[in-house]
Parts: sequence; C-alpha cells; structure tokens
Amino acid sequence: MDLREKATNRWKENYTWQPLLIAISIVIIIAIIHKAHWEITTETDPLSVWNERIMVENDNMTTITYNDEKLLNKTTTFKGVLEIFPYTNTSIGSPEQSNGTFDEMDGLVYNENSYKKCMISLNGMRILVNGSLDGKFYKNEVVTVDAVLIERNFTYERNGATIELESQIWEAEINDITLADERDYYFFSIEFIIFAIGLYFSLKRIKNLKEQISFAKHIALFEFKRGLKTPRMIVLGLIFFVFIVGMGMLLGQLQNDSDSILGTMTTKGSIVQLSYFTFMIGSMVAIGVSVDTFHKERQENTMNLLLARPINRETIVLGKALGLTLVVGVPALIAQIIGLYFMVTRGEMPPIGSMFAFLFFGQVMIFTMVTFQLCLAISARSGSSVVIYGLSAWLLFALVWALVVIAMATVIGVDINGENFENDPDYQQFASRIGLLNPGVIYQMVVGLFTSRTLAIDLEGVPGWLALLSVVLWPLMCLRTATWLFKREMKG
Amino acid sequence: MATNLLELNEVQKDYRIRKYGRVVRTYNALNKLSFKVEKGQIFGFLGPNGAGKTTTIKCITGILKCDEGTITIDGKNIENNDFENKNKIGFLPEQVGLYRSLTAIETLKFYGGFYSLSDSVIEERGNKLLDILGLGNSSKKTVNEFSLGMRKRLALATALLHKPEILILDEPTSGLDPRGVKALRTLLLDLNKDGLTILLSSHILSEVQELCTDVGIIHNGKMIRQESISKIIETVEKTAIKLSLRVNEFNEDSEKLLQKKKGIEIIEQKNLGKHQKIILKLKEDLIPWVTDKLVANGLKIFSIEPHNTTLEDVFLTETEEDNGS
Repeated sequence: MDLREKATNRWKENYTWQPLLIAISIVIIIAIIHKAHWEITTETDPLSVWNERIMVENDNMTTITYNDEKLLNKTTTFKGVLEIFPYTNTSIGSPEQSNGTFDEMDGLVYNENSYKKCMISLNGMRILVNGSLDGKFYKNEVVTVDAVLIERNFTYERNGATIELESQIWEAEINDITLADERDYYFFSIEFIIFAIGLYFSLKRIKNLKEQISFAKHIALFEFKRGLKTPRMIVLGLIFFVFIVGMGMLLGQLQNDSDSILGTMTTKGSIVQLSYFTFMIGSMVAIGVSVDTFHKERQENTMNLLLARPINRETIVLGKALGLTLVVGVPALIAQIIGLYFMVTRGEMPPIGSMFAFLFFGQVMIFTMVTFQLCLAISARSGSSVVIYGLSAWLLFALVWALVVIAMATVIGVDINGENFENDPDYQQFASRIGLLNPGVIYQMVVGLFTSRTLAIDLEGVPGWLALLSVVLWPLMCLRTATWLFKREMKG
Repeated sequence: MATNLLELNEVQKDYRIRKYGRVVRTYNALNKLSFKVEKGQIFGFLGPNGAGKTTTIKCITGILKCDEGTITIDGKNIENNDFENKNKIGFLPEQVGLYRSLTAIETLKFYGGFYSLSDSVIEERGNKLLDILGLGNSSKKTVNEFSLGMRKRLALATALLHKPEILILDEPTSGLDPRGVKALRTLLLDLNKDGLTILLSSHILSEVQELCTDVGIIHNGKMIRQESISKIIETVEKTAIKLSLRVNEFNEDSEKLLQKKKGIEIIEQKNLGKHQKIILKLKEDLIPWVTDKLVANGLKIFSIEPHNTTLEDVFLTETEEDNGS
C-alpha cells in the first residue's frame, strides 16, 4: 500500500472528524497569516533595530546615530513587550531631577524638556513617550508603538568640559501606544469561529450523539456517586480540604505581615501561589482517585458488560473522565472557595478574573490530571505499574519540576551559575517555555494571565494566548490519547 | 422461509501482542469464520478450548472489532449500525464482572441506563426478572454478598432487561448449581418460545444437545460444521455407529481380527469378571460380519446393543478429523 493510499484510507477512517480536521488546518493557516500580519505591518524585533545604534564619543562631541538614514523622521510601528514599566510611575525629568545627566542607554540628557515625559523599554529598546503612562499600561504587556526617530541636540558636562550630544531618539505620543490585543482578538475570534464550526459539523456526524451524551452523563454520575464513597477519596479529600483552606489563610496573612520569615506576598502573587498549592495536592488526589480505573475494570471483567452496551468507546472514556473529575473537582471547588475566602478576608482581593480562573481552570487542571492518569492506567500491564506511573507523574509535575528545569537548562547551556539565576531572563524564558509541558505550570500561568487585563501579555517568554491555548489543549490531548489507547487496547 | 438474524461472513481476527506499544507478535483467532443463526433458533456454539468461541462472541457483541469480514444482525452490518445492533443483543459473558458495591437493583439501573429505559420500567422489569431467576429476595443486597451463581443470574437479568432479539451466552451454566442450571434451561426455553433467538457456547455438550436446535462446531477459528442437531447426528450415524458387545473369551486373536478389518475401530475394552465388554465403532453394514467372525472364533455373544450417538461423539469426531487434516 503506497503512502497516498494509506493517507486516503486514514482520511476515510476519520470521517467523523473530517470537518474538525479541515477547520484546524484553516485555523493553522489563519495563525500563520496572523503571524505574517504582525511581521509585515510592524517591526517585531525592536531590539535588533536598537542594537544598530552607534555611539561615537569625541572630545567635545558625542553622536548617537543609526546606519539606516531612511529611519530618520519616519514613523515605524514596533511591536514588543513592555519589559520594565516606565521608569517612574509619573514621569521622568521632574524639575528636581532634570539635572543635565547624560544617560548613555537612554541616549538623552535629562533636562527640563524631559519633564512630564517617560521612557519605556520595548524588548530592550528605549522609546521616549511624551506624557505619563501611569495606569495606562503595565509591565509585560504586549503593545504596538508608532515611534518616530528624531534627532535631538543636548549639552552635558563631562570632566568639567561641555559636551555636545547629537542623538537620534525614538519618540512617541501616548496615543501612539496601543495594546496589541485588539488585532489579536480579531484573528482569535475568526480562528475560534472556524474551529467551532468544524467541531459542530464533526459532532453532527457522530451517530446517536444525543444518546451518547446521555450515556456519558450516566457513567459520569455513576462514577461520581461511587467515587465519593470510597475510603481513598474520603482520606485524600480531607487532606486536600485542610491543605487548601490552610494555605489560603496563610497566603492572606502573608500579604500584610512584613516581618514574616516566609516573606511578604503581593495580592496577585498570592493567588498564583495558591493555584500552585491547589495543583500540588489536587493532582495527587486526581491521580489517586483514577489510578486503577481501567486496570481494575480489566481485572474484574466489568468492562465486557459495558462494552456490549450501545455505547461508544469514546463515550466510556469521556464519562469516566468526567465522573472522576467530579469526584475530585466538587470537593476541590468547595475547598478552593473557602481557601480563597480566607485569603481575601485576611489579605486583599485579587482581580475577579484571576479568582474565576483559579476556580474554573482548577477544574480543567483536575480533568487534565485525571485523563493523564487514565492514559497511564489504560497502558499499564499491572496494578503496581499504574501506581508507579501515577506517582512518578505527580512527583515530576508537582514536586521536582524546578529541579528538572534546572537540569535541562544546564544541558542546553543556559547559564545557571549566577546567584540570582532564577531572575536571569534567559533562564526565565527557558523555564516558562518548558513549563508548557507541565499542566501545573500552565495552570499557574493562566491564573497569572487573568490577573492582567489582557491576553496580550508576555509570561516571561510565553505569550498569554499560548498559555491559554495550552490549558485547553492539554486536557483535549490527554482525552484523545486515552481514547486512542483504550480503543487500541479493546481492539485486541 | 426462516430468516437469518445473525450472519458472520468470512470473519478474520488476529490478536496483537504489544511490547512498548509496538506489535511484536500476532496470532490468528478467527480464520474466515462464517455461519448463520436463524430467527427463533437456539444455536449451540461448540469448540475445544482456544477454538475462537469467546473471540467470535466478543466480535458479535462489539467488544472486539474484527479485522476483516462482516457481521450482520437482521441484515445490518454491525460496523455501521453499532448502536442499533447492540440494542438487539443481550449478552452474558463467561466471566461475569459486576460492580461489587452496587445492589442488584442498582446494577440493573446502571446497565438499563444504556437503553433509554426509565427507572420505573427498569424496576418493574428488573424485579420480575430477579424473581424468575431466583433473586427476588436479594434485590437490595450488594453484589459483594452474591455467590458466583447469583452474580451470573444477575448478569443474565441485565442482559434481558431491554428485551433483546438475540441473547448471546458464553458458557452460561458454569458456576451454577444444578437448580440454577435447571432454572436457566427452563427460562431459556420459555424465552425461545416467546421468539427470542439464543446463541450459546458451552462445554457441556449434553446440555447443548438438550437445549439447542442447531449447532456449529468451530475449530482453529474456522466453522467446521453447522447443522441442526438431528441432522448432524444422523449424518454421523451413517458413517459410523457405536456397538456395545458383551462376550466371553475375547482374546488377542479376536482383537487382531477386528483391528485388521477396515472400517472397524475398537474404542473400549472392559473386563466385567466372567464377561468382557467391547465397544466398537463401525459402519452399520459390518455388524453381521462382526458377529459371524466372533462366533466363528468360538466366542459367545451374550448381548449386543447399539450406542446412541451423542453430540460429544460428533464433536470429538469432527475436531479430531480437522486436526488430522
């Protein structure tokens, strides 16, 4: 059978999912267009432009210029991350500060002309903004800036001598800065609509969809009622409950206790930290509850009776995954709400969106860990293997992830020898990107994302939309893999 | 004219042994298996261990998917009409696995939930079935408290709950006590009278002979014989019958004499004290030759009686022949 024939057969086999596959292909094309759009309409690497800056210092003259003369007095649109917030929250160069200091990096001399202006850093590129951005933009937000390269002349003192400075400076007005999300949302909306249409038509192709949904619900409720009564769940649930509520109280206290040996937490930091603790213990309960689902059923021959009913294999996996998610998710949700209540009452209230994300994506995270464990439970050949696989996964994701990241960073040559290597941008970027392989890190990222006002945010090297996409893709991929493994297993 | 309810056409099934996700070995379980079950039949599905009976049943019930060939129920391929066909099937596996923490009635409600039956209908039908199967007083007991036989009966109740058109039973009497076996037999005959088609695999051939109208013998994944029981026995009897003789002084000479004759096989020799019992397998027209020769050899024949051919004889003959070929 040649490759073409194989591909045709595979395509025919996936008749149900053909519309979704077509939709995903279109979404990928749109995503490429989306990327190309930014590349064509904006300069997406401001730092490379900034690095072309040449500074020449003579006895009484300093010049800062760019090789490309075409840039001068022309508007260029840059897209990048506000790496650090404008130097001061109000403005730079207040009368007291306008003392004629030459700042080599900024390429200007602070004087009365810079009063009420501010300097932003866009991916490392300095742009002087005419006005205050206080309350308008925040650190790590992705923005577009229509900046003009203008030649300015200054004078400053050096070793008692007066030096003339001719500097080409990127300048922008406040209205020239916009969040990049407006155009992103436009593309994302189209992508989402196409995906939804594909999904709709694929679901329509599933035979007896209504019945299958009702069967999934039937199994889910069955698993939920059965799972809640198990001694294992009662013990794990209690541990979970006490831990999350306690952590909520502690993190609330830490927001006000500047003398605490544990350090002081910011409000936003607290909810991200609480999401980590939720993942740590929630993933343990999720794995613990679903550790032997399919394996035990295979041993006790309960699966045969189920498979002989008019229910799809996909429905069985989905129903079980939903049921086990409910077993862990319902007590977890109650514990999270109470934990959050204590955190808010003892500290301050984080943004509403982040609280919603903490609760909602907590359930998504539990579903992900349940389906992840189902994959292991289906593949494992013995009960002890299932337990070992589950425990290893939990250790990796919840406890030793940071060590794994450090080890991997060392292997690929990221410098981790410095004292504060964790604050090194290269390390942070690596850790964030590799974090997309860990549902727990993604959960924290998404909660962190929702403490912001926009998706157009950079999460230390990972765009906000990518974190959001990952939190959706992880459970879907795990569910799909579990279904595939189950079908393969049952095929004989 | 009788119509086929179940039809298997050249069904092929290989099992794949995987290691680290890769197929390292395959072995053939069903080899172009074909057979038909007509509406209203009680079809006995026979075969030695490992012949492919359970695999066939799993393919019919949709637990396994066959690699090639077609399985149709009421003329519809199960591949494309999984939902509809599974609604027509009631299935009792050999090893019954039920959720131990559920009561009998909860078990029925759980499995009944896959046939769009309301709780009240499940309760009404379920209680009736539990009564018939002798579990009426145990409806609120958990499966954990049930014996193996009780579990089997409860599983049968789940198989009958949705009033299937064909009931598929894999070794239904294993684990049942004689009373349970009798109750099951009566129930199956009653259900068949009401129009239910039954396919059952069993090792207890006398039971199949007593219960079934038709049988199929499977060996090495192939159907080697499928006919009504009466016909199958008739055919075998035409080729060879068993004859039991009570004689005296059956010596080596007589034994050699019989062994030399083509078409005669000595199956059993037993010493009964004064007499000997000899069981022969032979063609009917050779009986006079046997009696003449034995008498000529000085033997006295005290009794001579034909053995009724049983399904077991047929089964053994057919599977041995297939092994030989």
